[in-house]
Amino acid sequence: MKKSLSLSVAIFLFATLVIGIVSVQADGIKTLVVGFDQDFPPYGYIGEDGNFTGYDLELAKAAADIMGLEIVYQPISWDSKDLELDSGTIDCIWNGFTINEREDKYTWTEAYKGAGQVFLVSADSDIKTFDDLKDKVVAVQADSAGLYAIQDEKNKELLDSFKELLVVPQYNEAFMDLEAGAIDAIILDIDVAKFQIKDKESEYRILDEFLQKEEYGVGFKLGNTELRDKVQEALNEMAKNGTFAKLSEKYFGYDSCIMAACLANEK
Amino acid sequence: MSLGLMLNKLSEGMATSVLIFVLTLVFSLPLGLFVALMRMNRHKVLQNLMRIYISIMRGTPLMLQLLVVYFGPYYIFGIKLSPDYRFWAVIIAFVINYAAYFAEIYRGGIASVPSGQYEAAKVLGYSSSQTFLKIIFPQMVKRIIPPITNEVITLIKDTSLAFAVAVTEMFTVAKALASAEKTMTAYIFAGVFYYVFNLIVAFVMENIEKRLNYYRL
Repeated sequence: MKKSLSLSVAIFLFATLVIGIVSVQADGIKTLVVGFDQDFPPYGYIGEDGNFTGYDLELAKAAADIMGLEIVYQPISWDSKDLELDSGTIDCIWNGFTINEREDKYTWTEAYKGAGQVFLVSADSDIKTFDDLKDKVVAVQADSAGLYAIQDEKNKELLDSFKELLVVPQYNEAFMDLEAGAIDAIILDIDVAKFQIKDKESEYRILDEFLQKEEYGVGFKLGNTELRDKVQEALNEMAKNGTFAKLSEKYFGYDSCIMAACLANEK
Repeated sequence: MSLGLMLNKLSEGMATSVLIFVLTLVFSLPLGLFVALMRMNRHKVLQNLMRIYISIMRGTPLMLQLLVVYFGPYYIFGIKLSPDYRFWAVIIAFVINYAAYFAEIYRGGIASVPSGQYEAAKVLGYSSSQTFLKIIFPQMVKRIIPPITNEVITLIKDTSLAFAVAVTEMFTVAKALASAEKTMTAYIFAGVFYYVFNLIVAFVMENIEKRLNYYRL
């Protein structure tokens, strides 16, 4: 009795494996698979209702609707984003994705948003300018624009003045460290910082000076201009019909779109 | 986000973790025995092949093995990956990794059966397969339950590595909730989930051990 039970379980599992593989190959619906870091509010994160949401994810949904594709949100491990994109398991990276320093690594859409890297410190910290960061412990996320910015040749002096540059796998760990007093500052994207200090203005503060100014775009596998052009077309249409204005108002409180098509609207 | 919804999301992640756990055990426990028997085979080639396999599986991080199993087909053979392969890559990687550990536990168990048992079986006219199945295997199982329990509990916690290839098991969900909600609540619940799961597994294994405790003086 016991034997036949375990045998039937094994057969059932094997059958689901086979069906799983076969059904995937039969799947003919056109999809746009968007890779993103789900720990990255306000660009992509789990919303109040438990579903994925965020500025970039809503933009991607709107673009997919225009292109007549079904959107698939695929949370990825940020460290493996190049592997995912190259192997075709995702179609694009759409996730507050910084173009600067990565111009030649991906095929990009036009930059749709301006941003920059800033320092986040505790509200009661005595750090006010870059000079105050001397002998402090500063955290930054692995493989992020912030890390590349601080490692840039022109910021070498600043980097050398730190006591330590701590590279963390997730920003959330850095926020916990900052709260616990284990680190003194975090290098991160300005809008991520603003999202983080919302409702917590008494706990955190952003330094006025930018470490680096930059621009965001949608990244495709190098050479995939066909899909890029389609997405760009959809983005232009979204600029015209006000999707950009509406969404960036919702997430950032101002119209953040910097595409030529958006700027042409304003005139 | 309400607490109920948060627990709901975590349970979804937990379901994935449990599925990884169950499938890994279902496939790796028998595979491990197979590997152990080949490892103890008289044929030197087979023996050394298994020695190399075990050495690689134990000598490299499971996270690296996950990446190789998932991305390997594309980068080595140019095969296009399907979205569902993500999950099965996790299962394959876990199964071949845990089978290596289980194989060595089985080998220790088999080696610990006194040689007198083989001699007695031979005298009684048992064939070699009968000797193994009826005499050696039952005695081995009784001896290896504690080390197997160790591995099984490690496996529960190892399921959190699945996110290396973007399979959202429970810990990944907890991390995402923590960053979206800016609180530690999700981590606390995740800890409780893991602990309760481990408690259940430890309890089940203890019961199995007790039931196998016959013929003991």
